[in-house]
Amino acid sequence: MTHAPVPGRTTAAPIPVATGASPGWRGVRLAMVTLLVISAVGPPALLAMLSASQSWFYPALLPTGWTADAWSAVVRRGPLARAVGTSVVLGLTTGVVGCVLAAPIGRALARLHGAARHVAVAAAVLPAAAPPIAVATGLQLTFVRAQLAGTPVGVVLAHLVPAVGVLSFFFFAVFTAYDTRLDDEARSLGASPRQVWLRVTLPTLRPQLGAGVGLGFLVSWGQVPLTLVIGGGRVHTLPLEVMGYVQAGETRFAAAAALLLILLPIVLLLVASARLVRGSAPASAPAPASAPAPASAPASAPTRVSA
Amino acid sequence: MTARASGSAPGAALAGLVAAPVVVGLGYSAAAAIGLAGPAARGLSLVHIDRVMRDATVWRGLAWTIYAAALATALATAAAVAVAIGFRGTGIGDRLARIAALVPFPIPYVVAAAGAVLVLGQSGLLARLAAAAGVIHDPSGFPPLVLDRPGLGFILTFAWKEVPFLTFVAVSVLATRGQQLEETARTLGASPAATLRRVTVPLLWRGLAPAVVLVFIFIAGTYEGAALLGPTDPLPFAVATYERYQALDLTLRGDGFVLTLLGLILGLAAVAVFEWTRARAERLRS
Amino acid sequence: MTAPGGVPDRPLPAPAANGALDVRGLAVSFGSHAGLAQIDLSVAAGERFAIVGASGAGKTSLLRAIAGLVPCTAGRVVIGGRDVSALPPERRDAVYLHQVPTLFPHLTVFENVAFPMRVRGLGRAEIERRVPEMLAAVRLAGFGARSPQTLSGGQRHRVALARAMAARPSVLLLDEPLSSLDPGLREEVREAILDVQHVDRPAVVLVTHDLDDAGLLADRVAVLLDRRLTAGTPPSALFGHPPTLAVARFLGFANELPGHVLADGTFEWPLGRLRPAPALPCGPAIGLCRADAVRPAAGGVPLRITGLRYHAQRTTAVGELLVRRDGQGTSADPPAWPTSVELQVLPGAVPAIGDILPVTVDARDVSVFPLR
Repeated sequence: MTHAPVPGRTTAAPIPVATGASPGWRGVRLAMVTLLVISAVGPPALLAMLSASQSWFYPALLPTGWTADAWSAVVRRGPLARAVGTSVVLGLTTGVVGCVLAAPIGRALARLHGAARHVAVAAAVLPAAAPPIAVATGLQLTFVRAQLAGTPVGVVLAHLVPAVGVLSFFFFAVFTAYDTRLDDEARSLGASPRQVWLRVTLPTLRPQLGAGVGLGFLVSWGQVPLTLVIGGGRVHTLPLEVMGYVQAGETRFAAAAALLLILLPIVLLLVASARLVRGSAPASAPAPASAPAPASAPASAPTRVSA
Repeated sequence: MTARASGSAPGAALAGLVAAPVVVGLGYSAAAAIGLAGPAARGLSLVHIDRVMRDATVWRGLAWTIYAAALATALATAAAVAVAIGFRGTGIGDRLARIAALVPFPIPYVVAAAGAVLVLGQSGLLARLAAAAGVIHDPSGFPPLVLDRPGLGFILTFAWKEVPFLTFVAVSVLATRGQQLEETARTLGASPAATLRRVTVPLLWRGLAPAVVLVFIFIAGTYEGAALLGPTDPLPFAVATYERYQALDLTLRGDGFVLTLLGLILGLAAVAVFEWTRARAERLRS
Repeated sequence: MTAPGGVPDRPLPAPAANGALDVRGLAVSFGSHAGLAQIDLSVAAGERFAIVGASGAGKTSLLRAIAGLVPCTAGRVVIGGRDVSALPPERRDAVYLHQVPTLFPHLTVFENVAFPMRVRGLGRAEIERRVPEMLAAVRLAGFGARSPQTLSGGQRHRVALARAMAARPSVLLLDEPLSSLDPGLREEVREAILDVQHVDRPAVVLVTHDLDDAGLLADRVAVLLDRRLTAGTPPSALFGHPPTLAVARFLGFANELPGHVLADGTFEWPLGRLRPAPALPCGPAIGLCRADAVRPAAGGVPLRITGLRYHAQRTTAVGELLVRRDGQGTSADPPAWPTSVELQVLPGAVPAIGDILPVTVDARDVSVFPLR
């Protein structure tokens, strides 16, 4: 309950939301919170433990011996460390270039009406929604002919295919919610369209641009099929390392690589969500400028973080 | 009018540009599927399409993919709706639940799948716990949850993975107008239960539907998830596509292009469904 | 009244005669603000009661407390003779309407209006008979299949009203019903409110910051000032003779001039002398009157016109009274008190700036408050 009992109150507190407050419900709530927290904290903790366990044979509940060889391999700039570097560079490039391309596209989409809007939005979402493996196999020979297959540039271009799809839709939602009166005001104060874009629109949307770069980064950061097919085994990213270690049964290294793959995005998320989660203000309050994208446009987050 | 007219053409053109790689892929795989392109090109022939159409393993794999993705999506949706409705206050428990529900959001599919192998496998953590508790005696006594035909590991893993996204959307659907509409329902005489059933849930459903469709598309399309957690028989569609595409046998590679084409066409259909639900949800806002 | 933290511990006194709504000693606290205290009001079935107050005075909170949407910290709400203070909103027999109509976007117009009947478990036949009646009552017959998104602003208000009446409430609570509307729509929605009230004759309580709305809609008006609510009086009485200086100032009288109550009980001020009833104690006082109470009249106090104000439906002139303070002062002194006066003028008789117009005011149109 959000309201503490007020001393001396003579009337029962009405229940402003649809749910009641019976003791049974409280128990269910407690169980749900516990489950959610475990599901959030458990996997990273588990991976951390696995990544340092020398031997953890069935049926021991905890590792019976510890080793840091997986981590020292990371520190000693083994293949894992190189993969981290490759993934970070690919992710940042995809995020920044994706936003530069997708922000104007999203704005153009948001201004469409009627049938054109539906067709254009569907077209923009298509690369993000088509099965990534099919996108990869459908494009591979074209990349080979362009001599891009197996090169980092080719892999960035391949990652940009779904990333620009995701980000176009993200910015479509952002610009659908954007109050264009701000731009109008700037125009009537004498700014050119270009000046409005650079001096008003983009600065106003700085938080959303940050989120966009993060989203583009994530699309590339977890990508497997496009790296696998277009990279042709010559571009080693962290997700491919995870795949390889799991399939080879190298539990310790798989766990270390997976943990690396989690840590950076979770730190990013926690930084970003400090703003987002505070929300759920009373319905009557106007949404803050940094509030999540509008309800019906779940764009703020198409999540396929991998694939 | 002029602003709209001048803004419309570039918008459509840019959207076309975004979709271009998929269109290229569609065109290429279509050409390769009928023998006009690709490494196995030997002139116009429907032999690959014919082989795939007759191949029961392909269709069983596709059916498995749809089944597992649908079930995972349903579970994730139920959980997200429960979190969004149950924890929308400003108390500590509410905030903690919302943060915890969001944490798996940036976890890549490949990590989710890898983690599932390490936890749910027959020598994974759950099996150890079960053994420590004396429920089972040796690993084979633990039910196979990974690479299993019912796909329990796959379903649970990706349901868990997609709870954050759906929760995020559900919370924002309710935050926009939910409370006002619920108050209106209450003052018009609806009990808390009736309000939930007649207002909150329908509203949430309409607002959440496009996100649910997206989640289904993502889970159905995952390659790495299916490769690490899916069964070998039936072979999930994404894995089957890649395996045929990688095959040394040129005939099988031709079949791979048919599967690629089919995957992209299914993607196209899914996007149409998505856009339909999105337009419906968009109308809710006015 | 009741034991702290408990429910009412003794039978209720009989509600006021014919009282559909009876609020006694209600207190509402909101956040860090002081909230509302000791609110009493009583509204009869079929009556329209307006609560006016400045923005942020707590008008909305008061309505929501009556509806059961926010908790109250003391007092009781009696609806139709039943103490509903401890009941949830759906069992209070009072419908609260948001300022902006909140139609269920996932339901058609028909289903919106049918909503209160469905949650009450009414039969399909009755719903299909009554919903068109309700829609016809707000002049929206044939709109049942439409989706709320396709309606105009005025139509949405009317659907919301029809839906509220479908709940057959004893009390209808309207939050700023006309505030956000264009002049044309205001009339449309005002008529719709009158229309729906004919159906079941609920008590209507509306809050507004707009005095004109209150005057247009309500049989009685009360002012929410400084956490308290004044007694409800007919608009003519309230606007003519406000109960306190604070209320009078809130109502915004055009003319407020200081004066003196003399030993014989006469009030002397720049506009002359008059005898207030009831009698006031001797000493400084303030007189207030409306612009339309000041009339040109031969033998009146001379007023030099300094400006004209054109309102949509009336014109007023402002000017300075050419008076010297006499009686108690020395008549040779320059004016020692404010002498600015506004009066309403007829379209055919608009004075020119600089004209000198003798004016007078009827004692019955002046409210006098002693200054302390």
